[in-house]
Amino acid sequence: MLTYISRRLATGLLMLVALSMLVFALLRLAPGDPIDAYINPNVAMSQAEMDALRARLGFDQPLPIQYLAWLRAAVTGDLGFSIQRNGVEVLPLVLERIGPTILLMAAGLAIAIMAGIAAGIVSAVRRNSATDLGLSVAAFFGISSPAFLTAILGLYLFSVVLRWAPSGGMLTPGAPFTVGDLLAHLILPACLLSIGHAALIMRYMRASLLEVLNQDYVRTARAKGVKEFWVIIKHATRNALLPVVTLIGSTIGIAVGGAIFIESVFNWPGMGLLLVNAVDTRDYPVIMGATLIIGACVILVNILTDIVYAAIDPRIQVA
Amino acid sequence: MRLKPLTLALAVTALLGTTALTLPAMAQEQKTITGGFDVGPGGFQGNFNPLAATGGFTWLNVYFEPLVNYNADLTAIEGALASEFSVNPGQTEYTFKLAKETWHDGKPFTSKDVKFTVDLAKNGETGTVFAARLGAVSGVETPDERTVVIKLSRPDSGFLATLTKLMILPEHALSGFTPKELATSTWWATKPIGTGPFKFKQYVTDQYVELVADEDYRLGRPKVDRVINRYFKNTAAAVAALRAGEIQFTYVESDDVPTFKGNNAFKVIEGQSFVVNYLGFNQQVPLWKDLRVRQAVMHAIDRQAIIDSLYGGAATVANCGYVAKQLVPEGLDTYKYDPAKAKALLAEAGWDKVNGTKPITWLTYYNTPQAANVMAAVQAMLAQVGINVVPRVVDTPTYNSIIYAANPDFGQFPLVYAGLQNGPDPSGLNIGLNAAQKPPAGANFLRIEMPEVTKALDTALAETDQKQLSARYQDVCKAMNANLPWATMWVANRYGVASTKLKDFVWVPAPAGGPYNAHPEKWSVEK
Amino acid sequence: MSAAAIQATVVRKGPIARALGRFALNRVALVGLIALVVIVAAVLTYPLWWSYAPNQIDLRALNKGPSASHWFGTDGVGRDVFARLMQGGRISLLVAVTSVAISTIIGFLVGAVSSFGGRVVDGAVMRLVDLAMTLPPVIFLLVLASIAGTGILPTILVISLLSWPVLSRMVRARLLELRERDFVIAARGMGAGMGHLLLRHGLPNCIDILVVYATLQIANAILLEAGLSFLGLGIAPPEASWGNMLNAARSTVVLEQYVWQWMFPGAALVITVLAINFVGDGLRDAFDPRSEL
Repeated sequence: MLTYISRRLATGLLMLVALSMLVFALLRLAPGDPIDAYINPNVAMSQAEMDALRARLGFDQPLPIQYLAWLRAAVTGDLGFSIQRNGVEVLPLVLERIGPTILLMAAGLAIAIMAGIAAGIVSAVRRNSATDLGLSVAAFFGISSPAFLTAILGLYLFSVVLRWAPSGGMLTPGAPFTVGDLLAHLILPACLLSIGHAALIMRYMRASLLEVLNQDYVRTARAKGVKEFWVIIKHATRNALLPVVTLIGSTIGIAVGGAIFIESVFNWPGMGLLLVNAVDTRDYPVIMGATLIIGACVILVNILTDIVYAAIDPRIQVA
Repeated sequence: MRLKPLTLALAVTALLGTTALTLPAMAQEQKTITGGFDVGPGGFQGNFNPLAATGGFTWLNVYFEPLVNYNADLTAIEGALASEFSVNPGQTEYTFKLAKETWHDGKPFTSKDVKFTVDLAKNGETGTVFAARLGAVSGVETPDERTVVIKLSRPDSGFLATLTKLMILPEHALSGFTPKELATSTWWATKPIGTGPFKFKQYVTDQYVELVADEDYRLGRPKVDRVINRYFKNTAAAVAALRAGEIQFTYVESDDVPTFKGNNAFKVIEGQSFVVNYLGFNQQVPLWKDLRVRQAVMHAIDRQAIIDSLYGGAATVANCGYVAKQLVPEGLDTYKYDPAKAKALLAEAGWDKVNGTKPITWLTYYNTPQAANVMAAVQAMLAQVGINVVPRVVDTPTYNSIIYAANPDFGQFPLVYAGLQNGPDPSGLNIGLNAAQKPPAGANFLRIEMPEVTKALDTALAETDQKQLSARYQDVCKAMNANLPWATMWVANRYGVASTKLKDFVWVPAPAGGPYNAHPEKWSVEK
Repeated sequence: MSAAAIQATVVRKGPIARALGRFALNRVALVGLIALVVIVAAVLTYPLWWSYAPNQIDLRALNKGPSASHWFGTDGVGRDVFARLMQGGRISLLVAVTSVAISTIIGFLVGAVSSFGGRVVDGAVMRLVDLAMTLPPVIFLLVLASIAGTGILPTILVISLLSWPVLSRMVRARLLELRERDFVIAARGMGAGMGHLLLRHGLPNCIDILVVYATLQIANAILLEAGLSFLGLGIAPPEASWGNMLNAARSTVVLEQYVWQWMFPGAALVITVLAINFVGDGLRDAFDPRSEL
């Protein structure tokens, strides 16, 4: 087991390096560099000044040298400074954004799981009834709607018109931190985020539960006189949950990347918004640093998942 | 009055309970103004270094101050940190008498700070964008603590305008840094020290900046206790927040104005943008060499119709780079909308052989829906006379990298749709039109080389007699109108919306945010 | 009944024909199919029966609501919304179908080569696939889109590059299992080359995965293109696409007062994606060998 883990970690490290090279190359291929992003075309600046700024940031060096310089610093934990934000170090910046993203994704996922599983159970039990049809149609709409449209409509309806929720941000500016304030800002984006996931979970849950309900052991339980409620909750659901758990597991891996549309519409200070801003302004150090950290998270989660599967299921060999 | 203990306990519990759930801003006793000060083209979110600022001056001016500043109409330059200023007849020596003021940390403001700031601004290592603009400065003298004399090696009629953007910095706080360190220092965003009516409290990354009142500001203690600048991803988000009552002010797109007109809770602020929009002809491609072709473009576009329908009438037709009354002479060719004439001119110039209906890339960085509509309208009008332009919208870094490339591919930008600041200081157009300003020296990326235009600009810049200045710029206008380096379209208005709860609030949609004397210490908000 | 008559009533059908038969019995899937056919037909033929062109501006008819002449109203420059909806449908569907075709081919080839190619090739290719999957899609999307620029071809490129890794894994899993089967070993023993193995043995055994994947991926690609266009990448105006028509909804004025400008493209998007999901689900159920006949 130990050799397996160390081998995976080693491969993971190599992949991180390859990833950073890939992103570095892609970034340099993209037109425009951070200085170009800085200049407002309406208020012109001379090229000589821009070149001086470039030289100061080291962009006149050949590309491989720039990459190696970055790599050397990254190995020691120094991910550099954000170009767009004066003097802010990349590592603390990225780490401080992971928290809000995880919070949003976790809240969205929690809502999705609860709503999806509940709806899936109700739908399977009352199969082909009006409730089932209604829930299934709602689920299909949830899967088919573009995330940004629901975000905008949701924001407009619940914030601007009904004023039930604040219109963006994570906390009220200038106010002391309270959990209530955080929750008030979290609830709308989390709910909107959960729509797509809830719909998918509900469909998987329904299909899986329907299959389980036809099994012999369920029929036996019913014949033994167990109350219908317990048949469903205790016997059927637990077995029906397996594929749903797999589904949930696969979404966690990509969760760290953030939900760019929701974060963008709600100005939620997470990784998604950070990356969108960084690409807009070609903030190379931030993009490289964020990619590295997200990539590391994804690789770690994958390794962990594989280990957990191997631990649970003795049939799986980790050779 | 003493409340019974039970009543008191209930009241406290109720208060605590509601505080946990309601927007805490309402439970605050401090008077606060919250706004989207960096929303829109004049703002620059996330930039705190005034030496490197190409925008966002409205906000910087709330806690930093320059020596001189524009008044709120943007018509004249008046004193700010300099209580009086004068210039010698040769326009080579500017003398400033400094106001009595203390920095936010209590230390006194003296002439040493001014000299320190100017030296920093000229030193390229600090990341400054002033190095070229202050190129004429030959020395700064400080005869005493309250007087500064700046000497120029040659007259520069734009010098005072440049100074309005230069925020004075504290020598005692920054002399410990090397210039290189300053460029990437965290000082700017964590504990900057200025002389303005509000002082820096905190910056929550990418979310908002909070300032608190400076108790001993020389013009009086500010009426409100805090000012907060909230960041928004785009204007639409700021408008949503304004309508939800979370902020009291923001810049809005002209399309958003109808929502607020007639609503008593809001006041619409309208102002000139001081940016002239134009179709730029790339002089390095053969398409536009013939003047008749350029004239045809002007005649083919019904500028007034576009202004009336797409700008709601809130723009002024530009027949040269300026629209200010004193800068536009009589007798200009107004290039009336005349598609028949345009077609005739094109036929005369042999357009079919020059290009015919082959598609011409029309590059721009304007990505608002309104700009997209305008370009679609212009495209249709040009197509009517046989010029086939294809709009291509790119983001700012891509645009800058195309036009400023070391070896540009002119085929990528034969025609551009752009804007350039033409005021309040009219010399702003020089950098884009003067033959001597071709890259890398300046921003004349279209490589315009028109002797008449260049000569008129040079004469105007060198003019030392203030009374003759308008006449000189009128000559520039005449030269632009006759030679058409650009197909000048219009100067649009820009808008802001403020809640009527704000009193004595001054805001002008100045290019790059100004700056201008907005007197933040006078702003107040009622509940 | 004679033996011959009974014989005649038993029709021999191949697995694909059987699957299609199952599909035909699925009412929901049929509804989806019909909806799709109607949409595609409308979108492909609209110049024949609709008088307005999608890029015809009319500065005197800005932001007009639905009326007898403009069924779905006009947009900010007086262009007819219905015409733009049809044109946008063409572009969105074109982009989606082409990018899915490309990513299906890439995914199949990568997965198949990996499984039939031996351990070393398999290891290397799968590491590459892992790399592609580790890359945060946000970064990849934004950077690739800013390199490629806006327009139909760049958008197709971006979308196809994002979607193939998942397919390659599924194809590999299916074919790995197949590799050990007798007929494949026999074919190899007889000297069959890689191409022959892929086309004659690999492809027919993956058809069901490919068809289901392609169908559902078209729905995803439509949503992805809409998202890209919404962000300002993807298809830029004055070209019409459902995504960039929805971009108008960002402004509260349009959201409140010019509802027709975004509601119709939004509805068209949802209905099309819904229909494709129905069909895709129906196909998945139909190809599932465990379903009841």
